[in-house]
Amino acid sequence: MRAARFSGRHHVSLPCALACLLCLCGTARADDASSWREIETKYIFGFTTGSGIGIEGEREFTVDTVGRFGKRDGSYSATETKFEYEFTPSQFVQIEFGALGSTHNISGVTDLDNRNAAAFAGGFAEFRYLALERTSDNPLSVTLAFEPNVRFIDETSGEPVHNYEFETTVNADLELLRNRLYAGFNLLYEPEVTWTALDETVREATFGGSAALSVRIVSNVLVGGEVWYLRHYDSPTLSDFTGDAVMLGPTLYVQFTPKMFMTAAWNVQVWGREVGNSLPLNLTEFQRQRARLKFAWEF
Amino acid sequence: MFTSRYLGFAATCVIALLQAGPSLAQQATEVQLTYSNGAFQPREVRAPADKPVVFRVRNLDGKAMEFESTSLRVEKVVAAKSEGVVNVRALKPGRYEFYDDFNDKARGVLNVQ
Repeated sequence: MRAARFSGRHHVSLPCALACLLCLCGTARADDASSWREIETKYIFGFTTGSGIGIEGEREFTVDTVGRFGKRDGSYSATETKFEYEFTPSQFVQIEFGALGSTHNISGVTDLDNRNAAAFAGGFAEFRYLALERTSDNPLSVTLAFEPNVRFIDETSGEPVHNYEFETTVNADLELLRNRLYAGFNLLYEPEVTWTALDETVREATFGGSAALSVRIVSNVLVGGEVWYLRHYDSPTLSDFTGDAVMLGPTLYVQFTPKMFMTAAWNVQVWGREVGNSLPLNLTEFQRQRARLKFAWEF
Repeated sequence: MFTSRYLGFAATCVIALLQAGPSLAQQATEVQLTYSNGAFQPREVRAPADKPVVFRVRNLDGKAMEFESTSLRVEKVVAAKSEGVVNVRALKPGRYEFYDDFNDKARGVLNVQ
């Protein structure tokens, strides 16, 4: 019942959000976009990653926090923060690496131990290759990204584990209106293997995609929305389907100075299902809400 | 056996990527730009498609400037009264904007045909 009310509210909010976006487009037209500098698209779509790989020789330090909130019952909040160094050694390749920190605040959630902890959670690296570049004649740009992760703390439960994940994504974006309106698309395949403290081996995978729209309302601010469809499998070969979910929400990007920006996003699970469970939403593999806040400094 | 072949292939790819820049630069088209009084001269330059481009940027002003372009994916700080060289990959036909990152009004365009 609670979930049904929740879902209904979002049926109303989606058209409202689209109407607001169109209004912003209209307001933004008053400003002259042709005088604006081109924008780097990587972080303008929230959880959806754009195709940008930066500028050759550019280096960046970022603090990127993703919070996940709400399970079926009890109280659940977990965050993972990436402390990331990013550099672009050539005009086609970008490399990132860094450390992961996590927090878990769990109380009264079925199948999860109560926990209130913060810890160093592991490390990651990312290799991005620009496969198709945008030109003034071609609005589409595509980047392939590979991100191996090693975790010592389980993302969901906060338990000590050894987890190895290999996130593979296709990041594409389209410039729909020059310097003004952008569409982003991601395709995600994320196999992982986990060895638990009880010596169990868990193999799983997440597969999905996203679509996002972002409008530049003034030269240094973009707002938009995104939708994600995610499927979870108890097998890296996508043979043992366990459930899926749709997440939806707004995004914000602010360029404070030419060398400093922030991005924020908030997604709510508006639909989901679990195999063998008739309750609405998928709250075993996913969460009710997730939020992202990222700050970056180029140097 | 498989692992060593795989590593060999990966190493070849990395070396090829690292070598791509210098080898392309050998056949580059040179573009001369002057920066004075906070503006590029000329403001619009041309280059042929599918050939690398080398920008030679002479900064005549009394303070440093940063030649930068999001679409060309290059940046270079050029000190006062000096010259900077910027290597760009072979480009597809189109219009590529560049600017001084320290001065929002200083803009220019590379037309590739």
